[in-house]
Amino acid sequence: MSVVKKVKKKNNSYKKFDQIDGSHPLKKVIPDGFIDYQARIRLGGKLVYFNFELAKEMGLIPKSHENKLNKELEKKIMETFSIQIINEYDLMHNRTFSDKLMKSGKYMATRYLQLQHEDKKGKTSGDGRSIWNGQISHQNKRWDISSCGTGGTKLSPATSKYNKFFETGDPSISYGCGYAEIDEGLATALLSHIYHANNKSTERSLAIIEFENDISINVRAHENLIRPSHLFLYLKQDDFKSLKSLLDFYIEYQSKNNSEWKNCPKNKSKYQFFLNKFCHTFAKLSANFEDEYIFCWLDWDGDNILMDGGIIDYGSIRQFGLYHSEYRYDDVERFSTSLPEQKNKAKYIVQTMAQAVEWIQSNNKPTLQGVSNHHILDDFEKEYELKKNENLLYRLGLSERKTKQTLKRAEKEVLEFKKIFSYFELAKSHRGRVKVSDGVTVDAIFSMRNFLRVFPQLFLHRGEELSHHELLEILKTEYADDKDLELTAYRKQKLSELQTKYLNLIQKVAIIFQEKIHDTLINLIKRSIVINKSGRVTGDAISHIVNLILKERKSITVEDMFEIAKKLAAYQTLDPDIVSEHFEDNPKGIINEAINIFNEYRDGI
Amino acid sequence: MKLVFYSGGDPNDNNRVDKKLLTLANTENPRMAFIPACHYHSEEDYIDFIDQFHPHGVRQFMKWDIDTQISPVVKNEVFESDIIHLGGGNTFYFLKHLRKLKLLDDLKKWVLKGGVLSGLSAGAIIMTSDIKTAGFPSFDCDDNDENIKNLKAMGLVNFKFFPHYKNSKRYDQELMAYSRKLNEPVYACPDGSGIIINSHEVIFSGKVACFLRGNKFFINK
Repeated sequence: MSVVKKVKKKNNSYKKFDQIDGSHPLKKVIPDGFIDYQARIRLGGKLVYFNFELAKEMGLIPKSHENKLNKELEKKIMETFSIQIINEYDLMHNRTFSDKLMKSGKYMATRYLQLQHEDKKGKTSGDGRSIWNGQISHQNKRWDISSCGTGGTKLSPATSKYNKFFETGDPSISYGCGYAEIDEGLATALLSHIYHANNKSTERSLAIIEFENDISINVRAHENLIRPSHLFLYLKQDDFKSLKSLLDFYIEYQSKNNSEWKNCPKNKSKYQFFLNKFCHTFAKLSANFEDEYIFCWLDWDGDNILMDGGIIDYGSIRQFGLYHSEYRYDDVERFSTSLPEQKNKAKYIVQTMAQAVEWIQSNNKPTLQGVSNHHILDDFEKEYELKKNENLLYRLGLSERKTKQTLKRAEKEVLEFKKIFSYFELAKSHRGRVKVSDGVTVDAIFSMRNFLRVFPQLFLHRGEELSHHELLEILKTEYADDKDLELTAYRKQKLSELQTKYLNLIQKVAIIFQEKIHDTLINLIKRSIVINKSGRVTGDAISHIVNLILKERKSITVEDMFEIAKKLAAYQTLDPDIVSEHFEDNPKGIINEAINIFNEYRDGI
Repeated sequence: MKLVFYSGGDPNDNNRVDKKLLTLANTENPRMAFIPACHYHSEEDYIDFIDQFHPHGVRQFMKWDIDTQISPVVKNEVFESDIIHLGGGNTFYFLKHLRKLKLLDDLKKWVLKGGVLSGLSAGAIIMTSDIKTAGFPSFDCDDNDENIKNLKAMGLVNFKFFPHYKNSKRYDQELMAYSRKLNEPVYACPDGSGIIINSHEVIFSGKVACFLRGNKFFINK
């Protein structure tokens, strides 16, 4: 196969796309850490989503570019991203493709550890249906770009399990056939847009290209797509050289591209600096996931999460409306972790990273058990607890400044409120374990978001406490039946305690900041109504919205789809410190229906 | 009856009307409830509402999203307020949900018992006999996406209310044509002006245009 020469005429406005040719500095750093594939243009695709704003940030289109597609831009996007790898099956079967369709670069599928592969050492695992399109930089920021659904690689679970190579799209296998699906692409685009709008670190969808039978290529970008599992692979394989190379690369990359890393030392101390950063990132993210009810299947392999704590692979992500702490995803061969178990998994990932760092620093590999008392794990616990307390005060509506002071000067009141708050947040239905569409759960019955949003308003307006019955009315959700809501003497005592401890804390805040209590409450309410907005997105809601979009897709243009993602993200911006774009007074069409769905499924999974 | 009709505008524009509204409540610490026309982006409207009245000394607020939150506790509390304020937005959508929860009657009864009801734009139109004024001018009207056929509203006053009025030919043509069909006046208020009703006393705050049987004249020129 020969490679196509240059296209006859270049368009200068979109020349940055030409840099996305499969090249990436990682290839030199870990020569054995990837499989390089030739690729060909895949015809028959249709662009359905393009994130114009992200493309501007990445320098792919000029800042002044309208959020509108034109023929040249579309052509460029398709030439760059509508590709399929020539995999081992193709080579074994001597498949040939027109020279005109062949891409000049090679695209890597990276190796990383994945628990679902039997060898548990990462010899067969990694990007099973993705390739890295490349890396570009723009205005001192680098972007890694990868695409999912570009063909089955030899790192797919199917190849590992059956010990043979598969044709891309082989209908006899589903997970591992190398294709991605349009619904997962759209769900990722919408949820990642929402998370990004809320300042969460996440992969971001750049483009979605649809093919027949609901198949798609989903293109994503992030500043750094390296996962802990990329490093853990070498740890498990006792490959010191590759481990050190990759960690050195990561540290240097972060130091150059991330302002929070500007004080990173150049000498050996950089490893300790890195480990501290890594620990703090994972302690914070596990506290945040727990408090924001974000289900992310973390496990010992360090997959499903990025090194910087960014969210990746939205197939493993769900956001719950309540603290559904017993939910487990049923992955056929195993059940996932649950929300509260995520913390220990995150801690275990930190412990594994401590093992890697100790090895690199001392050239003597400790056992994982040998670092079980590592000081970094104490730091993790401290950071986690601190973040949990900060999160509680944030959810109440306190600003960052007031949170810090309150934790210093009213720790007793904070902890007392936290205890009773957790009691209600954890309360579950008497019905016990029930099956849901993709797993099992025990339904949470109370909405603490309702409490934090509505109770302060009722108290402020009335000037006195609520009756037990009234408070229960505010807290209850559709998951609670009469038996769950029985007003026993114990429950009454707990309800009284919830109000008392809340008000004690508010009183203390008012004293600390020398405010009148109603002023404190008013300031809290102005924030808590945004933070605890009723119709917050859930996994169920996203699935229904994606189905709705798919039904209407024939009439939805690429520009419409981008507008939908933007408007839904603006509606879901729950940070009171962010001024989100305000659209029309009344939502129409799909936006209106989506907002109704958000509200209908607000307590779900 | 104690009613206040707001057209729209910034809090600064409405300062005079706000003061009159608070006077009607006849209490030092009035409790105010805010019912937005739609929950969509209502948090911002509620924050603006608090910021508008907090400087006047009001410190007891609450909000009720009637299109998403149907809690009897919240409803009961709202009806304990001294002032209930109906927000602005799409009048058709607002009417649909007020009717769905039978709040048109509840609010009317509450007003007759002495509660102070205020409304801004859509909220003000709903206090009149019907919401037809939300359907024009053709170049800037509310869309009836809900396809509401019954446009009857609270009927608390014997005039029509037209918010966001601009003294221009385009507006006047449509308002004059509309007023020809009516036996009651249409009060058209520019943003910042308003109408205050205290029993039988009607106070016009700011410049208000009156359209009556095809004629136009100004009150408070």
